[in-house]
Amino acid sequence: MEGADVVMSTAAPVETVLEIRALRLNRGSREVLRGVDLEVRRSEMVALMGLSGSGKTTILRAIAGLDAYAEGSIRAGKVGMVFQFHYLFEHLSALANVWLAPVHVLGVSRADAEARAQSLLDQIGVGHRAQALPRELSGGEAQRVAIARALAVDPPLLLLDEPTASLDPARQNELGRALRELSGQGRTLLFTSHDDDFVRDYATRVVVLAEGRVVEEGDPRQVLTQPKHEATRQLLQVEPAKRRTKR
Amino acid sequence: MAQDPILRWGGDAEGGAPFMEASPEDPAKLAGFDVEVAELIALELGRTPQFVQVAFAQLDQSAIRGDFDIGLCGIEDTPARQSMVAASVPYYEFREAITVRVVDKDRFKSLADLHGRRIATLGGTIAYEILLKAEAEHGITAVSYDDDVHPYSDLLLGRVDAVLLDNVLADRSMRRNTGLFTQPEAVEVGHYVVITGPSNLELRDRVDEILRSAMRDGRLEAIFRKWSVWNDDQPGLYARVLAAASDVVAERPAAARPSRTEMTLQYLPSLFEAALITLALSCLSMALAVSLGVTIATGRVYGGPLTRAVLTGYVELMRGTPVLLQLFVIYYGLASMVRLPAFVAAFLGLGLNYAAYESEIYRSALEAVPKGQLEASRILGFSRMQVLRLIRGPQAFRLALAPMTNDFVALLKDSSLVSVLTVVELTKRTQIFAANIGSWVIPGILCAALYLAMSLPLGHVARRLEMRWKAPTSS
Repeated sequence: MEGADVVMSTAAPVETVLEIRALRLNRGSREVLRGVDLEVRRSEMVALMGLSGSGKTTILRAIAGLDAYAEGSIRAGKVGMVFQFHYLFEHLSALANVWLAPVHVLGVSRADAEARAQSLLDQIGVGHRAQALPRELSGGEAQRVAIARALAVDPPLLLLDEPTASLDPARQNELGRALRELSGQGRTLLFTSHDDDFVRDYATRVVVLAEGRVVEEGDPRQVLTQPKHEATRQLLQVEPAKRRTKR
Repeated sequence: MAQDPILRWGGDAEGGAPFMEASPEDPAKLAGFDVEVAELIALELGRTPQFVQVAFAQLDQSAIRGDFDIGLCGIEDTPARQSMVAASVPYYEFREAITVRVVDKDRFKSLADLHGRRIATLGGTIAYEILLKAEAEHGITAVSYDDDVHPYSDLLLGRVDAVLLDNVLADRSMRRNTGLFTQPEAVEVGHYVVITGPSNLELRDRVDEILRSAMRDGRLEAIFRKWSVWNDDQPGLYARVLAAASDVVAERPAAARPSRTEMTLQYLPSLFEAALITLALSCLSMALAVSLGVTIATGRVYGGPLTRAVLTGYVELMRGTPVLLQLFVIYYGLASMVRLPAFVAAFLGLGLNYAAYESEIYRSALEAVPKGQLEASRILGFSRMQVLRLIRGPQAFRLALAPMTNDFVALLKDSSLVSVLTVVELTKRTQIFAANIGSWVIPGILCAALYLAMSLPLGHVARRLEMRWKAPTSS
């Protein structure tokens, strides 16, 4: 797939981790993305918002190389992705979900990979669940394991699809703090969300999509309290539960 | 008492000439010396003969059930038979003859000469009993067939080194095949009789009278001459039957035979042995089916259009045709190219057939692993092979476990089909056992118990594994 080359300009203080230009993507005859431009810099926490069908998840999938796009370009390095439904490997323990790729893809020794996996799980607050199988985990726990799994191969950019969808407010705040900590360590986060409280509290920038285009972006406190675009106003009027995207 | 105008007579039309076969002029009609003897009896009784088809091995059971009035089809006079059904006086004397390949005619003259060799015969006959005894006495291996044609064709192919059967059958095979030689020395002498239901002694006595009178006036001789089976042994038999008729009658029923319990105990070891053969065959076939099935499924999920088309063709062919046909083709059909031992042919036949079913299970199991997991694997950087080996395969296997267990139990039972290839497994051994003791009750119960003893623990283990793994769901 084109556009998967790594951008590494270590000299610049605000390194660009992701650069999307004029991205168009079709599903059959339907145009899902109609020219999206987006740039994300190191350590940013960018939230993608928009009504169902606005193309939020599709952007993440295109960045991850899962969906082929018709036109435009995506420049990104290695990415990690956390799916809305986590998609943990059901036959493996939480710990094995995390060390599997380092061992088999990166060639790290099993002992080192396990130790690193355990510390990732500890760091994100599910270390005590290392031996549990995915079906034994709660939604929040499974999500954290999925985050640890994605981080295990050390991607500079982490994509999260609807990370707050299955969490109650207390858990949402725990997640927000964990993500903020990751960003503090130099990771870049791009996530979709329908939850304006969460976005307002934790995102450093919000990008609003409507009908496959970016219609508004900026500081969440600004955009979400004084929306300029009609689509953003509509988005804020709809109850969060009804904005939930499906994939 | 009003008499039924129809005389139902039972036999196995598969027996072939000269006993009975479809008439060359009219395939709907039967011809053969047994057909003519049956017609002669019907004529004398003033009744119209009507043929009832019964499998050769089931003739006694069928007589007891009353499926026919009289049965004749080269039925041998044996003590076991005498104790189950009513048998007439003998109407034909035959010799158990050893047939070998012409090149071996000077080397294999008796059963003792055949030490360490395989000897074929028709199951459920005196010849088979003789061979079972000879297994201990002369160290031969008895091979039982369901028909009397394939023993001779396998003799020519070298799968067996001799055939022991009635001289009537031996003569017929020599006419059909060149390269065979039948030793003139008889291993034993036997007789064909007409059977009736055990309580139908009145009819049996009438049949005796008719046979004796046909011996006296030459009508029986004329029938045998017509079918070229008349020989010098018959006048002696007739003389004995006519002279000592009353003695023969007095002998019945046969004196002390071992009780059913004793026979059951005697049979138990061979039933266990047969169960082991069933188990070994099923396990080996399943191993082949699983490994081939995994390959086919992988090819169908990951392969190109040509690979997929070829594999789909294989699966449809194997699922769409009877496994019995496939076994015949592998064992007999391919015999001119590869001479597979019976057990190997059975293993291949069952394994290749079940591979088609297994591959369908694995294919749907592979496709049931959530697509999201495959996408997650791709993003993490796993290669396709790694995804299959580490993530998709292991989960598919768990999903496939229940249907696989189900198939293994089905295979365990389907393995009884291989008795057509002379492999004596549990069902075949039970059939022989039942024929010998003249009842299906005890052999049937024992056989069922052995099958259950094999399948139930398997189901138990599978259920426990499933409980431990619990099939993954998509959320």
